Order: sequence, then C-alpha cells, then structure tokens
Amino acid sequence: MTTANAACWRAVSDEGLRFFGEMSASVSHEIRNKLAVINEKAGLVQDIAVAMKSGRAVDPERLEIQAGKIIDQIRQANRIVGALGRLGHVVDATRTRIDVTGLVGLVAELYGRKASQAEITIETTGPLDGVSLTTNPFLLVDLIGACIDAALPRVDGSRLLAIASEPGGDGAIVRFRHLEGVDDSDVQLGGEASGARAMLAVLGGRMTVDRERGEIIFEVSDCE
Amino acid sequence: MKVLLVDDEEELVSTLAERLSFRGVEAKWATDGRDAVDLTEHESFDVVVLDVKMPHLNGIELKKKLERIRPEMKFVFLTGHGSEEDFRIGSAEADRYLAKPLDIDALVATLMEVVKP
Repeated sequence: MTTANAACWRAVSDEGLRFFGEMSASVSHEIRNKLAVINEKAGLVQDIAVAMKSGRAVDPERLEIQAGKIIDQIRQANRIVGALGRLGHVVDATRTRIDVTGLVGLVAELYGRKASQAEITIETTGPLDGVSLTTNPFLLVDLIGACIDAALPRVDGSRLLAIASEPGGDGAIVRFRHLEGVDDSDVQLGGEASGARAMLAVLGGRMTVDRERGEIIFEVSDCE
Repeated sequence: MKVLLVDDEEELVSTLAERLSFRGVEAKWATDGRDAVDLTEHESFDVVVLDVKMPHLNGIELKKKLERIRPEMKFVFLTGHGSEEDFRIGSAEADRYLAKPLDIDALVATLMEVVKP
C-alpha cells in the first residue's frame, strides 16, 4: 500500500467512526427522550389512579389517553432502535448488492431528529422496484449523510428536503431537492483531505449542484 | 409556587405540568425559547425548568434572555444527553441540574429547595 493510499484509508476510517459515533449519540439522545416521556406518562397514570382511589373525581378517559400515548412513544422508540440496528448491519459486507432507495430511507430516518430541530421534514422517494447497486453500503450511507448535512442549511421556504433516488449514469443518482442558494462550495465535504472526500473517491462517486433547480446531486457507480 | 417548563418535547413538558399540578405546583410549559420568552414577558415564575439542548435557542442562551426579563427567577437545567460536558455546563450555569428521566418527587424537592429564601 502506498503512503497516499494508507492516508486515504485512514481518512475513510476516521470519517466512518465519526459518522457512526454521531448517529449513535443522536439515537441515544432520542431514546433517552422517549424513555423520559414514557416515565412521565406512566407516572401520570399512577397519579390519576391514586387520585381516583382517594375519591377524587377524575375522568377515567384520561387513563386511556395516557396509555395510548405510552404505546405511541414505545412504537417510536422501537422504530429508532430498529434504524440503529439496521445501520449496525450495514457494515456486515464491504461490497454487496443493495437498494439505494432503502439506504436513503434509513439515513433519512437517522437524520429525522436533526432535521426536525431545524423544522425540516425529510421525504424520500424512489422507483417501486428500488434502485439496485453493488457498492460498499457503509460508505454510501456515510456519504448520503454528508449530502443531507450539506443540504439541510439550504432547504427553501417549503421546509421540505425531498430526496429522490433513481437509476442513472453507470449506477445510481440521488437528488436532494428544494434547496436555495446552493453552489459548488456546498459539495466540498470539508476539502480535498477530508474523510468524506476520500470515501467519495473510494466509491467512485461524484457530487455536483444544479443551481437553477436547487439540487445537490450525488452519483455513484456500480462496482460490480 | 409557579413553574415554567421548557423542553422541545411537548409530550414531556405537558405531562410534567399535569403531574406537578397533582402536587399543588402551578406549571406552564413552552416547547421553544421564543414561546418561553413570550410567556415570561407576560408573567413571572418562581422557577424555570429548562432543557440544556434545544433548537433555535439553547438552554444557556435562553436562561440569559429570561434573566434579563425577570432577574428574580431561579433556574433548573435538564438534560437527556448525560454527557460530561452537559453536566459541567448544567452545574455551572443553573441553580440546580437534573438528568432525564426525572423522579417527580426529586423534582418537587429540588423546586422547593431552589425557591427557599
């Protein structure tokens, strides 16, 4: 391995760890919030039961409402944990056949909290039969995340980040839409020496912007 | 005692407000810094319980804004992160600091302690 290659793989590895750490911390925060809500809801059910036992007039429907909300919080927490589990399995193979639309959906889910804090909704679309591609899924997931990071500050007044995947070029194309004021600096990914840039090179990917249509475009080649 | 609860998780603050009312504490809530500032401009609270990390305006910045409006108010910070950094910031900046999930009796005891003359 040449020194340049070694430096490239080290940058890829550092970026991969950084991304995984960021996603784990974000999911952990979200789960802790869900547990905090469940804790309070269960406590409120207890408070209502105690009040009823002591003869206070309390509408029993309040119990039913709170129980329903607890179930809802558990479902949401389960969905988030499921996404983290899927992310964990993304590293199972360094090269495999994947569905790009499905991976975009996974990253969008993991970025849900970050987006909602910026009052942005992420919507993903793709062909019904998916977009099949042979690639390194973890690098692809990381780069989709890098594109979302670049796109979020540029989302227009619709507050909707639409991500569309489609077959194209010699692999797949992912478009990040509803952006305003995008330019080439938005796809620099921290400069030539950055880990994300190294990942892009390893994947044989390309990021461009379409200023007129307000899009960041990510193209990735099939490495089969 | 009047308490203002501020956290971006609406289900958390609305439920906490209900639980506090069962314990004789009057609580209002807001889900972001802007609403908290609006409420504080109209009425004063004995204690503000707020999350360290919130969108738009984080807990530290919000505390500074609210202090300018009502210098007499006390502050209790909450966090869901539990990181060393949060703990350091929380303990340095607020009158008290509590980690989520909360123990309601510990919260009430903390509120009582904070407002004690």
